[in-house]
Amino acid sequence: MINLGLPKSQKRYHTRKYVPTVVEIRNLEVGFHNSTLLFIENLQVKPGEVLAITGPSGIGKTSLLKTIAGLLKPVSGTVQVCGATIPQRPERGSIGYIPQKLGLVRHSSVWSNVMLGSRAGNSRATSREHAYSAIEAMGLIEKKNEPIKRLSGGQQRRVATARTLAQRPQLILADEFLSELDEETSERVVNSVLNYVRSSDVAMILVEHDVSRAREISDRLLVIDDGRLNPFITDTSIMEV
Amino acid sequence: MPEIDRELRELLVSVSVLLVGFWIALKLTSGLVWDWNGWSVIEPQSYPICEENRFLQFTCSTAWIGMIETIKIAILATFFGMILSLPMGLLSSRNLFPQYVTYPSRTIVSACRSLPSIIWAIIFVILVGLGPIAGIMAMTIYTVGYLGKMQYEAIEGMNNAPLEAANAMGLTKAEISLGVIIPETANHLIAQAIFMFEYNVRSGTVIGIVGAGGIGYYINLYLKFLQYDEVGAYLLIIFLVVMLIDLMSIYLRSFFTDDSDNTKPTWSGVLLPSRINVEKPLE
Repeated sequence: MINLGLPKSQKRYHTRKYVPTVVEIRNLEVGFHNSTLLFIENLQVKPGEVLAITGPSGIGKTSLLKTIAGLLKPVSGTVQVCGATIPQRPERGSIGYIPQKLGLVRHSSVWSNVMLGSRAGNSRATSREHAYSAIEAMGLIEKKNEPIKRLSGGQQRRVATARTLAQRPQLILADEFLSELDEETSERVVNSVLNYVRSSDVAMILVEHDVSRAREISDRLLVIDDGRLNPFITDTSIMEV
Repeated sequence: MPEIDRELRELLVSVSVLLVGFWIALKLTSGLVWDWNGWSVIEPQSYPICEENRFLQFTCSTAWIGMIETIKIAILATFFGMILSLPMGLLSSRNLFPQYVTYPSRTIVSACRSLPSIIWAIIFVILVGLGPIAGIMAMTIYTVGYLGKMQYEAIEGMNNAPLEAANAMGLTKAEISLGVIIPETANHLIAQAIFMFEYNVRSGTVIGIVGAGGIGYYINLYLKFLQYDEVGAYLLIIFLVVMLIDLMSIYLRSFFTDDSDNTKPTWSGVLLPSRINVEKPLE
């Protein structure tokens, strides 16, 4: 396994303020405007923990990730991320987000995309080094200068992961980040990400459709099951398995 | 013989067809079938004396001088307009900035677009006097209005995922603009700038009428003396030049489409209306 971590003294993460709970959610209603998709009474994610969320499509898993990332305003309730209460922004580069659609700049090269993340989370001096090691960990060194639009779906997914790893965030939010990957590549990506999460005490929340895979990767698996036909009804329950 | 790609070959063929067609029409109407007075506009002016060789005598004509000035005005106006409109386009994008930034910015862009370039030309002729400087300023302002709108629409229409990822990372607006938006919409921005140049050449022929430089100045002059043959000749030359620029612009823009590997125009597509032009089956 390729070791992503630099010596602890050089890690950007360790210069950040230590928070005992990376994500803390209380009475959160997730949704758009005043229609609620999901209700979470209490949820905490600690450093070094991997939390997987699964459930039927359209139930609000992606919206929950977006709310935690500060991209979607909560209908009600409080969300604390890396010590900041949303809508307040946490420290720059604290959150690494891999959207379902990846969010890569299609016309830019692999290097430029990964550097975007690396610059967000690291100092100017270390950003190139971190970008290089993340691209190497994802096995994309040979494609470093290729534009994203010439890469396959799986390769693009690896670039998005590399961008987040290069950023050295305190919290990783990943939305179906393993889809389109073959078994071997998927294992490589998972190992690299988990290695980083464990070695740097980073929290990770991932949305995964495949329950068995989610169970394999995560420390805690949350199954969102509304049990009703209309998913817009409040009090959607979260069950801990 | 080096291999020329299909699109370039078609461009060269269509440009040659246009130029040969024009040359034949010129010969037929210069005494061969009909002796038309209009072509005096491509003869060298009597003063200053033309020092070019026999084949380049036409470069001393009013049609050539006026057309080149129009093209120069269009190039500069597009260049300055692009530089000014890009920040305006970014500031007007609702997916990037809050309403208290986008509204004033959009108002400025709309104000620039609300008057046609000929009115701007009149204003600048009054402000800075007759000549191409007034033309450049007028068309720059209009370009900001027109290009700014096209740019913010392109930016707002872009895929939201890169913006979401960048916002979650905590990148600044300047970093998002330079690192995400401009590369992601570059093809649109370049294609729009080329289109704007083509548009500016066309509208640049008009602004000369109010004294803002270019070929319009000569058209206005001959109109005043009721010499309609010469005016007709200028219009034919403008038509030819605009067609040539259209062809080149479409060819250039084809390099900046999202799937530039397989989207290139055919020359028949440029010359014929879309209903008549039937696409060739894939080889």
